[in-house]
Amino acid sequence: MRFKTLIAAIGAATALSSAAFAQGYPERQITMVVPFSAGGPTDTVARLVAERMSADLGQQIIVENVGGAGGTLGAGQVAKAEADGYTILLHHIGMATAATLYRQLAYDTLNAFEYVGLVTEVPMVMVARKDFEATDFKDFIEKVKAQKDTINMANAGIGAASHLCGMLFQSSIDTQFTTVPYKGTGPAMTDLLGGQVDFMCDQTTNTTQQIKGGTIKAYAATSPERLAIFPDLETVTEGGLPQMTVGIWHGIYAPKGTPAEATERLSKALQGALADAKIATAFGDLGTSPSSAQEATPAALKEKLESEIARWKPVIEAAGVYAD
Amino acid sequence: MTDKNNTDILCGLALLAVAGLFGWQVFSLPIGTATRMGPGYFPMVLSALLALLGVIILFKALRSPEPDEAKGPLAWRGMAFILPAPVFFGLTVRGLGFVPALFVTSLIAAFASGRMKVWQAVLLAALVTGFSTLVFSYALGLPFRRFGPWWPF
Amino acid sequence: MDLISNLALGFSVATSLENLVFCLIGVLLGTLIGVLPGIGATATIAMLLPITFQLEPVSSLIMLAGIYYGAQYGGSTTAILINMPGESSSAVTAIDGYQMARKGQAGAALAIAALGSFFAGTVSTFLVAVFAPPLTVVALKFGAAEYFSLMVLGLVMSIALAHGSVIKALAMVVLGLLLGMVGTDVYTGTPRFTFGITNYADGLNFVALAVGVFGIAEILRNLENEGDREVLTKKVGRLWPSRAQMREAFGPVLRGTGIGSVLGILPGGGAVLAAFASYTVEKRVSKNPREFGQGAIAGVAGPESANNAGAQTSFIPLLTLGIPANPVMALMIGAMIIQGIVPGPDVAVEQPRLFWGIIASMWIGNLMLVILNLPLIGLWVRLLQVPYFVLFPIIMAMCAVGVYSVASNTFDLYAVAGFGLLGYVMSRLRLEPAPLLLGFVLGPLMEENLRRAMILARGDATTFVTRPISATLLVLTVIVLVVVLLPAVRRGREEVFTESDG
Repeated sequence: MRFKTLIAAIGAATALSSAAFAQGYPERQITMVVPFSAGGPTDTVARLVAERMSADLGQQIIVENVGGAGGTLGAGQVAKAEADGYTILLHHIGMATAATLYRQLAYDTLNAFEYVGLVTEVPMVMVARKDFEATDFKDFIEKVKAQKDTINMANAGIGAASHLCGMLFQSSIDTQFTTVPYKGTGPAMTDLLGGQVDFMCDQTTNTTQQIKGGTIKAYAATSPERLAIFPDLETVTEGGLPQMTVGIWHGIYAPKGTPAEATERLSKALQGALADAKIATAFGDLGTSPSSAQEATPAALKEKLESEIARWKPVIEAAGVYAD
Repeated sequence: MTDKNNTDILCGLALLAVAGLFGWQVFSLPIGTATRMGPGYFPMVLSALLALLGVIILFKALRSPEPDEAKGPLAWRGMAFILPAPVFFGLTVRGLGFVPALFVTSLIAAFASGRMKVWQAVLLAALVTGFSTLVFSYALGLPFRRFGPWWPF
Repeated sequence: MDLISNLALGFSVATSLENLVFCLIGVLLGTLIGVLPGIGATATIAMLLPITFQLEPVSSLIMLAGIYYGAQYGGSTTAILINMPGESSSAVTAIDGYQMARKGQAGAALAIAALGSFFAGTVSTFLVAVFAPPLTVVALKFGAAEYFSLMVLGLVMSIALAHGSVIKALAMVVLGLLLGMVGTDVYTGTPRFTFGITNYADGLNFVALAVGVFGIAEILRNLENEGDREVLTKKVGRLWPSRAQMREAFGPVLRGTGIGSVLGILPGGGAVLAAFASYTVEKRVSKNPREFGQGAIAGVAGPESANNAGAQTSFIPLLTLGIPANPVMALMIGAMIIQGIVPGPDVAVEQPRLFWGIIASMWIGNLMLVILNLPLIGLWVRLLQVPYFVLFPIIMAMCAVGVYSVASNTFDLYAVAGFGLLGYVMSRLRLEPAPLLLGFVLGPLMEENLRRAMILARGDATTFVTRPISATLLVLTVIVLVVVLLPAVRRGREEVFTESDG
């Protein structure tokens, strides 16, 4: 535990000097690490938020994409970065699931970071090829159970949102399907459109436009309430599977030992950005909404991370799939 | 028949060695079944194939030797300076920062040639660094730190 | 007619002064960054993407598309001049293009590449405009079994890439396939051949491999006997292709355009095959196949046209389905989303200005590239007169920056050094890098689709012959195999005879 003592010492040292620190922060540009490649859904969320936060902070937030290994490379890099408030991390639910999916992480998920706040929680939708014959979600569950030997469930690779949702679906209805993994959502969606696979469960960011265009069928949303963009689409709770309620939540973190003044300042900027109407519209187009001011706080993110690690551990262990 | 084709003999042996290296790694991977192929299935087939090709090349080289073509000397000096250059950049770009890391990288690479005089190398490295910093860091705004945390300032 | 009014709408959007300027900026930036050695289209777009976020949606996409073609064009320029391809497609151009440059025909190679690309771009833009929706239907018919069969066909064709021993070329393809396996297994999450280094969990970086086995190996080769001879021909030769060369290039350009247009439509892997396939076809139909690898003009004209045609038609899945066909397209989708446009199957109906504007700007961008690049050829060729010992430190510095900027992964830089050594060893052993690169690109796709097809068919291997498209592709494979191997067999016999005679 010498490492932790060291961290505590650094934390104490920085706390002492933080009185002077608070006045000037931020004095130069801040780097926001996104642990996925540029142009993906997480990167999009990051860039939208970073732009509004920069305006509030009066300093530019630069987005740096450090992709690889399900987001653990970028997270590991931030965990090791200087705790001066000038390097932060925007990561999604993978922060919690990687703690179980990866058995040899280079960082200790719960003890390597300070928290800034939650950003958004993207709901998911259970979708099937457009000629799938099921009238509603209950019927869908019956049909897939009945055909479980011939039907195929797609996902975008281990640790992806669609993989998590798929595991949750299987454990919720206590049925194992033949799963077909893809490298990313694009090819998985292409095969769903072409009817090569039968169903999958993915974020609204990836499914909304296809559902609207009628190229795939939607059966249920995994959000607690019905989605604003699809008011006719029932939720998983209405369909009888409340335990499948899940969202891909995004949070902002800083390395352990970052002065509280910095994380609080960032948290305030985040709340300001999320209250912006432009952000709400942009998120709305993606089928999601900004987190509330109460959620965009260090305490809320800490609680979320802890509860989600506990929630996913048994699901992942039951599936017996690990990423290393 | 004494003048064997040494290039091809070496080539066959090298391929066998590489196939062996991959094959040895495959042992720790599950092979799976034809329906649900494991991560080791395809690499196992490929390693075997590579080994087979290596044997064929070796066999052909030993059996019907064609005269070996003349070759230049190995570029020892080139390898000693060119190959470490990107490695140095990778090791220092975060710590030293973009500007000094790139300067030293260009400098190292410049010494690969015997014709480069020291002042020329320094000048060239400075020009390359200046140009790259302007283009990548200022004009394109890439998220590089120009001077990293290893510097006291 | 609908098409004409749509195209008119597109051109009215694309020719607005503002969009013309953005198209020009995009093409210029793309070319400028793309000609820096070791930096290809993906790296360029990743670098320049944030710049476009501040613009109007149509303008930003027009600019991004411009960057894409520009970078691809610039990548071919470095492939021809210094044997440094930045993308898998320009790796093919490097084979004969660089040999032409060494013979003092760099100008001709560059001009043919530019003109061929422009022709291909024009034709395929028209194809995109007319046939986008019906072609999409075809693309969706491609399942895992079809892709696997297509990859097999591609690999068989790759034998023709070799200008030396066929067995050595095969060995290089297999080695490339194995290198492509490095990284996390998509199906089980098991890391393979990474030696415990998490930074290689997503596989080895393509740019690092291409730069290493082509570019750095070439630098080392040139440093071998620096003392006793001039390393690079200073002969510049004529800037323009001769009339005979133009005539020679005409057929390859036509065929390349056709091949590229067809393969580009297939999302996930079609476009990467275009340049390789075209090279194979040209070598086969050529009257002097022995010229290939020694600076055959058809070996530049065909692949360059195929590559550009494929680049255009790979927009089809993006525009009609909202699904990216390659990493560059994925970046463009990100750009659209930031602009508040989430691309989907309705984008042509909901955003006609955007849809047709982009199509029109594709053609305008290609036109600009030709106008821009033909005068620049003189400048590029003069670059060859820079003493080599001045040129290569610059190349090394640019490679380092370019490779690092793709994913900020320092391990990619260590890979560059490793592959540089590999490339040099290969060149000493007379092993060629192009088949290795093809194997590397196709390996993961091939394995992924093989395993997926087997899962979907529940282990029934007959799926590859019972599905009509897949079966057709396999029949084609057999035909190609016969055509490619027959002359080799005949040559083999001749050799036997000559030996017994002597």
